[in-house]
Amino acid sequence: MMRLSHFDFLAPATIEEAVGLLQSKGADARLMAGGTDLLMKIKLGAIKPGFIISLKKIGGLDQISFDPTTGLTIGATALLADVADHPDILKHYPTVAQAARGTANVQVRNMGTVIGNLCNASPASDNAPTLLAMEAVLHIAGPEGKRKLPLDQFFKGPGMTALKPSEIVTAVGVPVLPPNAGTAYISLSARGKLDCTAVGAAVMVTMSGDVCKDIRLFVASCGPTPLRAVKAEEIIRGKQISDDLLAQAGSQASQESRPITDLRASGEYRTKMISVLTERVITEASKKARG
Amino acid sequence: MKQVIKLSVNGDPYTVAVDPCQTLNEVLREELNLTGVKLGCGSGDCGACTVHVDGRAVSSCLTLAVEMDGKEILTAEGLAPSGETLHPIQEAFIDKGAIQCGFCTCGMEMSALNLLQKNPSPTETEIREAISGNLCRCTGYTKIVEAISAAGEKMREGDR
Amino acid sequence: MKEYSIVGKHVPRNDARAKATGSALYTDDMKLPGMLHGRLLRSPLAHARIVRIDTSRAESLPGVRCVITGEDTPKVKYGNWRLFPDTQDEYPLAVDKVRFIGDEVAAVAAVDLDTAEEALGLIEVEYEELPGVFDVDSAIREGAPVLHDYCPNNVSVNRKIQYGDIDKAFAESDYVREDVFTVHAVSPAYLEPCSAMAQSDLDGRITLWTSTQVPYIVQCLLASTLKMRENDIRVIKPYVGGGFGGKMELRAWEFCAAFMARKTGRPVKFTLSREEEFLAGRRRHAMKLYSKVGFKKDGTLTGKDLRIHLDGGAYNAMGPTATFLCGNFGAMLYRYPSYRFLGEHVYTNKPPASAMRGFGAPQSIFATETQMNIAAEELGIDPIEIRIKNAQVSGDEIPEVATVSSCGFIEALEKAAEMSGWKEKRKSLKDGRGIGIGCYSFISGGVFNWFNTQYPFSAAEVRVFGDGTAHLLTMAADIGQGCDTVLKQILCEELGLKMEDIRITSADTATTPQADLGAWGSRLTLMNGNAIVEAARKIKAQLFGTVSAKYNLNVIYDMECKNGRVYPANKPDRGMSFAEAVAMTQKANRGEPLVAFGYYTPRGKGLVTPAFSFGAQVAEVEVDKQTGIVEVKKFWTAHDCGTVVNPKAVEGQLEGAIQMGLGYTLSEQFIMDGGKTLNTHFLDYKMPNAMDMPPSEVAHIDTYEPEGPMGAKEAGEGLAIPTAPAIAEAVFHATGYRCRDLPITPEKILNGMEELPQAKSKPAARK
Repeated sequence: MMRLSHFDFLAPATIEEAVGLLQSKGADARLMAGGTDLLMKIKLGAIKPGFIISLKKIGGLDQISFDPTTGLTIGATALLADVADHPDILKHYPTVAQAARGTANVQVRNMGTVIGNLCNASPASDNAPTLLAMEAVLHIAGPEGKRKLPLDQFFKGPGMTALKPSEIVTAVGVPVLPPNAGTAYISLSARGKLDCTAVGAAVMVTMSGDVCKDIRLFVASCGPTPLRAVKAEEIIRGKQISDDLLAQAGSQASQESRPITDLRASGEYRTKMISVLTERVITEASKKARG
Repeated sequence: MKQVIKLSVNGDPYTVAVDPCQTLNEVLREELNLTGVKLGCGSGDCGACTVHVDGRAVSSCLTLAVEMDGKEILTAEGLAPSGETLHPIQEAFIDKGAIQCGFCTCGMEMSALNLLQKNPSPTETEIREAISGNLCRCTGYTKIVEAISAAGEKMREGDR
Repeated sequence: MKEYSIVGKHVPRNDARAKATGSALYTDDMKLPGMLHGRLLRSPLAHARIVRIDTSRAESLPGVRCVITGEDTPKVKYGNWRLFPDTQDEYPLAVDKVRFIGDEVAAVAAVDLDTAEEALGLIEVEYEELPGVFDVDSAIREGAPVLHDYCPNNVSVNRKIQYGDIDKAFAESDYVREDVFTVHAVSPAYLEPCSAMAQSDLDGRITLWTSTQVPYIVQCLLASTLKMRENDIRVIKPYVGGGFGGKMELRAWEFCAAFMARKTGRPVKFTLSREEEFLAGRRRHAMKLYSKVGFKKDGTLTGKDLRIHLDGGAYNAMGPTATFLCGNFGAMLYRYPSYRFLGEHVYTNKPPASAMRGFGAPQSIFATETQMNIAAEELGIDPIEIRIKNAQVSGDEIPEVATVSSCGFIEALEKAAEMSGWKEKRKSLKDGRGIGIGCYSFISGGVFNWFNTQYPFSAAEVRVFGDGTAHLLTMAADIGQGCDTVLKQILCEELGLKMEDIRITSADTATTPQADLGAWGSRLTLMNGNAIVEAARKIKAQLFGTVSAKYNLNVIYDMECKNGRVYPANKPDRGMSFAEAVAMTQKANRGEPLVAFGYYTPRGKGLVTPAFSFGAQVAEVEVDKQTGIVEVKKFWTAHDCGTVVNPKAVEGQLEGAIQMGLGYTLSEQFIMDGGKTLNTHFLDYKMPNAMDMPPSEVAHIDTYEPEGPMGAKEAGEGLAIPTAPAIAEAVFHATGYRCRDLPITPEKILNGMEELPQAKSKPAARK
């Protein structure tokens, strides 16, 4: 009926307090950053938490910072809108800004967060594939202290992550991109512009002249989690990029993906599109890397 | 258990006891009788419930009221406080024929304000992007885009 | 175009300020002291027998004031086709059986929404599931599950039209084309979810505020289902957030609000969620169309044989009208010397389809126009030339269908070609780009009296006062299309007053004159406008008498009522102000209020409509041949709506129609799994947003409709029709893929291109 079921609302002031609350309330508690995904799940009756623990009162968690040696850090409550418009991100990580800008609509970007989008672990996330391509690392706090986890070890399935009980993702870090690196992200949907993703691909390539020194390629909405197209990468890595090679990589990426048919697209269409998008993102990223 | 929050709505102070599961939309519509805040979908997709919280446009249907303690809320009712002179955005919507059934109108106006505050002379593409989270079934958006552009012009003149 | 003083001028909408400031009240914005909140329990099954319903646990939940099921109601079936009571197939709440997922089974009224919702979960319903049927082909097969006992073959309505010798026509044709088309269901997706609030008055009468297009129809059908007298029901339409056909019947929540208000003695309000709207709301009919059409070598049409199966869903709703109109529209636009139509309305276990902008025409004309484009291609004739060759013109008669009066069709075709640079672009567009055309004709209100009303189709009451003001009372329903403003303009024009001189009371069945059939079929400007003109003329006749008497004028003098004055046309100085004329007239009649009524019911206009609009639309597209994604680059539209009463309102209607047409063609659809709708949110119901809308240019073809007020006729509904065939032809021109199966999805385009002989990527015409 689109009304929220009853819950208690808790707004701790520190991470430690939040972890403590998660420990005491157990599985009946849910963490909330922007809340746009969480509240929809409650409205749809998919979950019925007894407690919501908001992270928004925790000081400093909304920070976005860039350091030329260590890279970019996006805090857990930093808004999608702020990531999309941040001057350092636009300058050094334009694809991160692009993915944030491509998430939902203006209003939701003014409420929702990048980290919330990651923790929601939707295979259709716009932010996950780009951050994966750039070797992002999650900063996690929990009962046993702090740890870091590479983002590519985070996703375990739709809505499932490697977070242990009572752990909180406090930030995502993106390393400084290698010299001569280029990144690209393209997503498609049935409506065309600004829409939930039916299929997407993100890549980071590191070039040396015309030769691709390294590549990280991820496809979205084509499996239970964003998938790394390892074999497709192998086709490109160390080679001079050519149309023929791109076609081979595209077709390999299609074979590696495991798309299902759902209401946004058929598995068959997604498979075809992975091939097209793979070629397009690699072309775009390598052009940026050189240019 | 209800929690008491203090918030400012259209410049007026309110103290409201809210249930944690109440959305801002429910409180504005049901408790404060702000009927310009519509509920078109409840899932943050249509934009009819758009209001500003501390100067940012959000979907009131996906915002918890309990988090609004200490916040400043602006709704379409607050655009023209005196009631006599309308806000340039409202004037432009009326003038350009941007209103048909009117159900999206207040949300559109709030999205328009969100844009024009940051970017007083937007391009057509920027306007379209700014209202892409506000669905309209009547107008095809053409006259709404025209109205926002005209409002921007008027607001720039007003600043001079 | 004839010059008028207010008609044709830019006049801001009557309600624009209220809507811009948030003070316009829609039904859900209203509340009454002591009001209860209602919620509906809907069937989770597509087809089932109700074995048992136990409401006791729900009733004992604190805060619940009333729980009802079909058994508690008077069990009167209803439907809009009162003229044929057999077609009235729906109970306000299910009795014995449910027929689609979302069918209303029970209702709860409680002190707040959360309690009402909780109570729904406590109602126990035992169902015996029955096999369901979800497409028309299966539903008409021998032995298919039967939805309604009275209708063992699931075909609830059929309509036949036949004129000319169709078999002979095909035998004598040089070229005969046969195609099967399928078109899908889409949602009206008005922004305001349905809402109704009822109060039982102290005298036992009912007042219902409801988001409806048809206050009068709701009044009558609510009376019959409650077993009350019509005039014991008062229906008031507050501001309505769009309808597009989806709000033109009595609906379960309107009945339940009224019934439960009477039962509890407290006001009751129901408001649907968007999920309910998508899950169970009315929708445009999906159809399967079999069309055969014959031509001479030179492109002259010889005849058409059209068969249509309408996927009606579980109840008739407005399906009979859609069936009727599909047949009529099959014979429109072009001169078919012979024509045969068979339309059958088929029950399936899906949410009922009903009226939606275009009302059968978008589907029927998609087939017409696509076949016209195919024929043009295969006969080697330009698509616009073949249309001009066969186009209907003013004075054409279509047996059983209509006589065309004003008609700017050929001019619209020529204008659309000119604006779009058609000839050049058909030849020279680069690969992946294409340009295509689609046309439309639409009605200005319906003639066929399926509601079997004893009242005039439209009525108006005009009261004038000695202070120079007037009060217009009409049951016409402004649902956002702007008729309150347009009707005021018509009255101003006729009485020579200004907009601010007119007060309007509309869409209240207890205070406005009986009757008005409602806001559908583009009927209000013409029908209600005519009623207003008649009332105004009666007023004027009296004022003229007063002025003539005062100045002792020759009885042959022509009189005028303009610019707030009443005077003889050739001696303007011998007049007086409108206010003075009214006051003097009243004094001459012992103070009797000066009031007049006007009525309109079409006469001598056949069975379809008093007037047709026409138009043509060209679309240019770019298709990404790797992804199949279509981007419409631009639309050019030339339309003939007779006299334009309110230019911005007409433009706005046209622009809105293009948005709906674009969505219908490319992105909007219900994704169904059997009887279950999977996309119940806007996130996955892909209605075009502001970024999806291409640029668009519109030209007005100037005609004068003799039957319309000041020459006006339909505008804006018909333009829901041409966009699909125009884009389909443009996609064909761009890729060689010909769509016969809406919507045109990227996947269909890619598959279609793969199936082309030797993956031919360009149509022959481009060589």
